[in-house]
Amino acid sequence: MPLPPSTSISVPVGGDRPPLLRDDTLTLVHRATFGYTAEEHARATAMGFEAWRDEQLDPASIDDSQLEAQLAAIPYLGMSVAELAAAFAGQNGADNELRRILQGARLLRAATSKRQLLERMVEFWTDHFNIYGDGSIAFLKVVDDREVVRRHALGDFRELLGASAKSGAMLVYLDNATSVAAAPNENYSRELMELHTLGTGAGYTEQDVQEVARCLTGWTIYPPGHPSVGEFVFNPSTHDNGAKVVLGQSIAAGGGQQDGETVLDLLAFHPSTARRLAEKLCVFFLSYDPPSATVDRVAAVFTATSGDIAETVRAVLSRQSFREGRVWQQLKLRRPMHMAVGAIRSAGGTLSTSPQGLYELVAVTKFMGHAPFDWPAPNGYPDALGAWGANLLPRWTFATALLDDAIAGATVPNAALLAIFSGVAPSRRAGALSRHLTGGRMTPEDVAEVQAFIDSQSTFNGDVAREAVALALSLPSTQWI
Amino acid sequence: MKKDHSCEEYEHLSRRGFLGASAAAGAASLLFPRTAFAQGARGGLQRPCLVGIFLRGAMDGLSVVVPHGDANLYSLRPSLAVPAPGAANGALDLDGYFGLNPNASGLLTPFQSGGLAFVHACGSPDPTRSHFDAMRSMELGQPDQPATTVTSGWLARHLQAVSPAGTGPLRAIALDPLLPRVLAMAPATLPIPDPANFAFPGNPASASARRAAIDNAYARTIAPLAPAAAASLDSIDLLDTVDFTAYTPANGAVYPASKFGAVLRNTAAMIKADIGLEVAHHDYGGWDHHDEQGPLDGKLAGMLADLSAALEAFHLDMQGMEDRYVLYAKSEFGRRAAENGSGGTDHGSGGLMMVMGRGVQGGQVHGAWPTLAPAALDEGDLRVETDYRDVLAEVLTAGIGGTDLGHVFEGHTPTPLGVVL
Repeated sequence: MPLPPSTSISVPVGGDRPPLLRDDTLTLVHRATFGYTAEEHARATAMGFEAWRDEQLDPASIDDSQLEAQLAAIPYLGMSVAELAAAFAGQNGADNELRRILQGARLLRAATSKRQLLERMVEFWTDHFNIYGDGSIAFLKVVDDREVVRRHALGDFRELLGASAKSGAMLVYLDNATSVAAAPNENYSRELMELHTLGTGAGYTEQDVQEVARCLTGWTIYPPGHPSVGEFVFNPSTHDNGAKVVLGQSIAAGGGQQDGETVLDLLAFHPSTARRLAEKLCVFFLSYDPPSATVDRVAAVFTATSGDIAETVRAVLSRQSFREGRVWQQLKLRRPMHMAVGAIRSAGGTLSTSPQGLYELVAVTKFMGHAPFDWPAPNGYPDALGAWGANLLPRWTFATALLDDAIAGATVPNAALLAIFSGVAPSRRAGALSRHLTGGRMTPEDVAEVQAFIDSQSTFNGDVAREAVALALSLPSTQWI
Repeated sequence: MKKDHSCEEYEHLSRRGFLGASAAAGAASLLFPRTAFAQGARGGLQRPCLVGIFLRGAMDGLSVVVPHGDANLYSLRPSLAVPAPGAANGALDLDGYFGLNPNASGLLTPFQSGGLAFVHACGSPDPTRSHFDAMRSMELGQPDQPATTVTSGWLARHLQAVSPAGTGPLRAIALDPLLPRVLAMAPATLPIPDPANFAFPGNPASASARRAAIDNAYARTIAPLAPAAAASLDSIDLLDTVDFTAYTPANGAVYPASKFGAVLRNTAAMIKADIGLEVAHHDYGGWDHHDEQGPLDGKLAGMLADLSAALEAFHLDMQGMEDRYVLYAKSEFGRRAAENGSGGTDHGSGGLMMVMGRGVQGGQVHGAWPTLAPAALDEGDLRVETDYRDVLAEVLTAGIGGTDLGHVFEGHTPTPLGVVL
């Protein structure tokens, strides 16, 4: 489906200016979305910084019916595990097919949803509560994505944590489903504290890991053949009913399922969790090394609201945060999937809505090292400059292939090119490109490189226009959020 | 804590300064003994290529090189232990005490021919049982302590400490999409998952103009993008000189048709093409088997078969060229001595390291063995008797030919082991 044309949108003047100039709304649109579009920037400018952000923090208020209608054509996304099992009964490779469908839907949503900030938070929590796997996990992850990550992405952290602890996909991926009193499995217990809540350095011990594992014995799922297959169930017969001590707090014997709930309360509301999530969110949206004043303030909001995620993100994406960290000057690298989706968005590209077409796009993100739901370890894809910043050729290859129409699943129609260049003086074509792709945030030097490339070609036709767009999307200026 | 040299390194490695980097490394090269090496075909030193394999997730060393002579193994792991040699599915005996998992039979020939060494009960002094803290500590090359300010990887510091072996743009390659922390801030280093497909994209007619624009633009941006862009553009031409497609392994070696098989095959092709490659690194993940571990017929068995088949092929392919590489494989830690209730094992301590290539004293299971006796265990885990840095120190000195160990493993005085001589 085509993205809305941007021809009728007036964009702010000054396309060639460096990013040193402060424009909070432009910065917000870059950071809160999967890629700048002139249309979204114009809306945000018209609404004002706070109103646009607050609307994005209330995704139910945003009409996304076009995307929802497209997703409705993929019935598997709404099914329970039992329904999925029935739909794919006896089919070889069903797990891989389902994985591809979910991956493709992820890219379609990131690229085209009007609820862009929600999609960014889905990206955040998908990494935070990372789950990977084929076989049964492929089925269970469909439900986890819908009922855990997407449902609670801007909701209540304790509810999100609890939903994740009871998610069939998580229970299988980190082995708690088979953890029994006689021989507890520590895998989930450890990552629950290390990755999902406290973080290492918060002072918990190996003893705490073992005690939390004991508290969570018996947290499992209904087995295959049961009508509620894959859904959470507490099995009292495999639960360790003895007394436990977690983080110095005694948990009396005989607590049953409540042991685990008590642990989740302790962890969700622990100051180390508030601090750690605040820092992680600030890094995600603002900069690699956010000021401690900002992190402290965000952590305080998280604590004061008992883990209200929307309120916490509101504090992250605030003018005060932008001012404290001079965020408009901070270079934060888009990870490859974000770069790919962002390039499609800002160039005015369109996505296929067929599962097969979308899977071609998934394959491209895999080539870039960043396919959705494809990170094997429980820590999620890293969000670090050092990890991603040296692998550039796949970005250049993606931008080139996108504009060459060489990627099944995503195309940039000629109309989108006309919207960029028609009526623009030959010497200002690169500047127009900067405005269209970034709201004028490319550096003058990068703009000059694109203009020099255009000028070096004997004529300016559709092919050169496409190469110029691909080149602009390959340069450093377009790699930042 | 001494300051990290790495940011400074990056400054030197911006596009225009790239060739000047060898001059910057001049002081460090005084520490490097040049005597052992012939001139490489491209005019530089011919240094053996260090091939590093990180088995992420904590490989269960006790199921790979099985201490069948330690009766405690069978009481700790009633359902998981690999049986002693002679029993059904029994281990392949190595020395009367240790035996090889039958799924790793590909390692038997390299071991028995003296090319492959094991170091058991090996690991980090950092007591963490967190994968991610343990990996971080191992990649930085020192225990993770609050005072640690080092952010560069130990392999990166090795490359900083020695003069480049060749004149090429690619001293080190990570055969992965992401640069691992062990190579963070390494000079002339790129993550390239598939070096056989590393071409500048798009219309050939406009390629030089587009390349020039990219080259110019990235020279002005920040590290690591700036040096990576320069190295990428130069490596396109360099890797084009390696005929990966027609590469025929020597001695009839057959690599498995797996990702890891391709990694080692491509590594052999690059070493033989003499492109100045000093380090090839690969992350081989998936060893975290908390449930249904299956050392004989399950997940671990399948992974071991792949690992050992690829290592066997590489060993055979490089036979007669052992002076051209040193390979090591290791994990962040080993696994709990006792099995858990899920048919798997939780996080442990002492693990297993494998070393192959130049100077390696193969055919032996090195390292003191603490036993699995209850009193010998470290909180239920195989005790670390050998510091992984002691093995790597020998790899870097006797194996690769020298480095500045004080820079690479600052604060650690290696104990001689005799694994690489």
